[in-house]
Formats: sequence, C-alpha cells, structure tokens
Amino acid sequence: MPTQPGTINADYKAPGGKLLRVQMQIVAGADGVSRIHALKITGDFFMHPEEAIEDLERRLTGAPLDEAELRARARAFFAGDVQVVGASAEDVVHALLKAA
Amino acid sequence: MSKLTWRLLLTGDKSAFDNMALDEAVLRHVVDDQSPPTLRFYGWEPSAVSIGYFQGIEQEVDLEACRARDIDVIRRLTGGGAVFHDHTGEITYSLAIKADYPGIPAKVVESYGLLCGGLVAGLQRLGIAAEFKPINDILVHGKKISGNAQTRRFGGILQHGTLLCDVNPRLMFSLLKVPTEKIRDKLIQGVEERVTSIRRELGEVDKAAVTDALIAGFADVLDIRLIPGDVSADELALMERIKGERYANPTWNHQR
Repeated sequence: MPTQPGTINADYKAPGGKLLRVQMQIVAGADGVSRIHALKITGDFFMHPEEAIEDLERRLTGAPLDEAELRARARAFFAGDVQVVGASAEDVVHALLKAA
Repeated sequence: MSKLTWRLLLTGDKSAFDNMALDEAVLRHVVDDQSPPTLRFYGWEPSAVSIGYFQGIEQEVDLEACRARDIDVIRRLTGGGAVFHDHTGEITYSLAIKADYPGIPAKVVESYGLLCGGLVAGLQRLGIAAEFKPINDILVHGKKISGNAQTRRFGGILQHGTLLCDVNPRLMFSLLKVPTEKIRDKLIQGVEERVTSIRRELGEVDKAAVTDALIAGFADVLDIRLIPGDVSADELALMERIKGERYANPTWNHQR
C-alpha cells in the first residue's frame, strides 16, 4: 500500500514478542462511523501458514474503529487454523487502536 | 534404534537469490522423498540483507544504500526480522525435514528450542556458554549470537539461521532504515551491549572449525548420522526455477 494522504502508521511492540507495524486508511462512512478502508500489517512476527496474513487483513478491512468489534475479528482469526508466533489477537487490537 | 541418516551440504558462498532458492528447492525435494533430511551450511557472496516474509521492504531497508554498496536485498520464505548477511562475518545454516519427522513438536514455538539445540551444543563444544532464548534466539552471557527462523510449508519444515562471526554494526545500520541519525548512533553503540560474535567470544574466527563443531552439535542433539553429500541436479534445476519465480523477482521482494 503506497503511503498517501490519510494513511496512518503505528508500530506496536508486543510484550515479550515481536513488532507489529500497521499502515491503514480510515474513512468516515455516511453513517458517521469511521471504518478501516485499507490495511497492511507488517513486522518481524511469524505466522504459519504465512499466506494467512492476507486473511487477517481482509477480516479487519471494513471494520468499524470499535475496540470490541476489532477484538472479535482478531480473535476469530487467531482461533482458526493458524499459528502466530510473537503476537496475540490482543496485540493486533492494540496496534490497530494505536494507529487509529 | 539406529540413527537416522541425514545429508550434510557444504555449499560455500552463493548469492542471496541462490541461497534462498536452494533452501526451498531442498525442502521440496526432502518433502517428496527425493532427498534425505538435510543440514546445509553456507555463506553469502555478495553480502546481502534479508527481510522477514511479513516485513515491508521499503520500511526496513535503505534500498539506495544497498544498491550503492552492491548489497543484494531479498525477502525470505520465513518470518522474523531484517538481517545483514556479511560475506565474511557470518555462518548460515538451514535444515529441511518432513513435517512428520519424529519428535518435532507440532507447535512451531516449541520446536525452536529443539532445532536450535544443535547450534547451542556446537557452540558449547567450542567453550562458548551458549543458551537458547525463546522465541528464536541464541545468547551468550545475555548477548545475541544467533537468530533463527522457521517455516512449515509444502508438508515440510525449513529452519534457517545465522551465527555471527564478526559484527559490523556501522555498516549494518547504514543499510537498514532507522528513525533518525541520532537513533542510528544509539543503535550502533547498543550493539556492543546486545550482540556478540565468535570473534568476541574466542578472539579469532576459524569458520571451518566452527562449522565442524556445529555439525557435531546437530548430530548429537538430533541423534543423527550426517553424511556429506551433494546438491542433486534436480535440486539445482528447481533452484533456478524458484529463483526466477520468487527470490530474484521484484514482485516477490516488494510484495509488502
């Protein structure tokens, strides 16, 4: 995702784990709710299978910037058939909220 | 029970593109029973920067600085952080086994300790007080000497990692992106406190002797027989193909 106006960045170091770097674009919908329009999560963590990162980004894209909603989506991903090493669902939520 | 037999590959110095493609080609052949479980040691010529699968290449690497110094930049198949692979300052290993290899924990995070054990035992043979530090590091008196990364794909497990022989923090941090020049200086100074090397621990670097110790360490810890062998013609052909599709391909390297 190219850096462009409206792109916000945040780095969040998971305690005892790895660095999560979030780049995202937020848009305010007609209903007045701010949503994640585009999202890229990078960093030195591990995820098995690796391609699952795209699934995580897809699940979070379109989400309202609401802590409970982001947590529900992150947890649903982590509960699936994936091993993430160096970051938890809660770390992803923290990184997103830090960026927002 | 008789020991399992592995192939030992000493492939010398190669380009980053050859090295990463060969790791994957060997893994695929091991998975398909075309090759035995394999432990490989190698070096980098020219020096290179590798980034983890999930890292942003522009975020982590000063591509202009790398170009100016003829240093290759490559995205790994494995996660983890950016690494400067110095031509003279590093010994690199990779090991490739099938996913159902006996005794390997199903959880990746639990398997690092076992697979890094070969390095730990090898360093201890040299009189270095190495210890595994979760998640994926090896430390000596609290300072990092080795970083390791694993992927599980195609029905197999590939783990590769580095052993620092010599540290050149000024060069390393001139190639990696850092927030500010002030922080660059701090990072360079911090390496003294956080990182060590074979040279710092032993006063000299004899790569052949260190590699021999690591080979013995892996043989001990994994209870295997390591038989020196060669890369097969099929593996070399696959390496060339994978290199074009992936590691020497800007689409792969710039995907994040």
